[in-house]
Amino acid sequence: MSESNERIREILGAVAQDGAARAGRSLTGLVGQDIRIHVPNVRLGTRADTCDAVGGDTAMVLGAYLGMSGDLEGHVMLLFPEKRALECVDLMFGRPVGTTTEADEMAKSAVAELGNIVGSAFVNALADHVQLMLHPSPPTVVHDMAIALVQTIYAEILARGNEVVMIDTVFEDRNGQAAGLVIVAPDPHSLPRIEELAA
Amino acid sequence: MTAAADGVRLVAVGIGQLEVTNERSTVLVAYGLGSCVAVTAFDPMARVAGMVHVLLPCSEGRAASASEPGRYADTGIDELLRRMSELGALRSRLVLKAAGGASVLGAANGEKFKIGERNAEAIRERLRHHGLRLAAEDFGGESGRTMELHSATGRTFVRTAAAAPHEL
Repeated sequence: MSESNERIREILGAVAQDGAARAGRSLTGLVGQDIRIHVPNVRLGTRADTCDAVGGDTAMVLGAYLGMSGDLEGHVMLLFPEKRALECVDLMFGRPVGTTTEADEMAKSAVAELGNIVGSAFVNALADHVQLMLHPSPPTVVHDMAIALVQTIYAEILARGNEVVMIDTVFEDRNGQAAGLVIVAPDPHSLPRIEELAA
Repeated sequence: MTAAADGVRLVAVGIGQLEVTNERSTVLVAYGLGSCVAVTAFDPMARVAGMVHVLLPCSEGRAASASEPGRYADTGIDELLRRMSELGALRSRLVLKAAGGASVLGAANGEKFKIGERNAEAIRERLRHHGLRLAAEDFGGESGRTMELHSATGRTFVRTAAAAPHEL
């Protein structure tokens, strides 16, 4: 929408590259095998764009939500279409993609940890970029219709913007790839701070 | 339950949208209510059915836009009642129900503005303002909901991703 949002997209694009590199290292350390994370595309999206990116409004999605607090506030959410999430769980467990077929407690716990790593890496990268204290909350597993989750984030930030930052995020190891979406939505009152700090 | 029988028209009521009908074979449905709230109204005598899909609690004086008449709870309820009347519904006969207002991001971590809770309260408040109240409601929790109103019968159903549909 606005020029300032476009500027924020640029800033968060740079932060996303850094965050992805950090998250890849953490994940590699955690699972004991090389996992790389790519962020091929960072863009601004409307509510409809965001839902479309994970399979449509009524698609079942699985992911993790983290709140960001401190000097800036906002929302970070990692979302996968359900099937992609299960593939990513297989990558984390070093199993052939397709092994996990159900979003059971084990799978949800793995997705929470993945969201924790990716979301925290992103928040920490942003903190370093703008030299502020930022704290990610513990992750909440989200498993619902895409629109219910996306709509709620939009309602929270709607006082100002109509768009959030969408980061296509690809997890890759030697067995294969699984792609998800990271949504970053700064609270409206934090947007000017980010622009100011990154200027 | 969404398996529409032959001749039944399924009308999705999107975020901020509002639909009223006096057709007998319509199902109004709001998919994936997170912090949003759907309010249904039914006049069993005039056979008029309506639904509004509310995003935010309060218009704060902003006029409701023609493209999103149901965006705010207060102006959305007003418009729902007006449109129901236009089709011959009587306020005194309306059966009103509502669902949604969940904390899908986790009550502990997310949603410091508590939009879901405030939406639910704003709906009740605006109905009170009109001397009306909800006959049934399904608010809160941490799961998204889908709500349906069947215009042939006035029956409403709510389902979540995890649970089987139940009648409200």
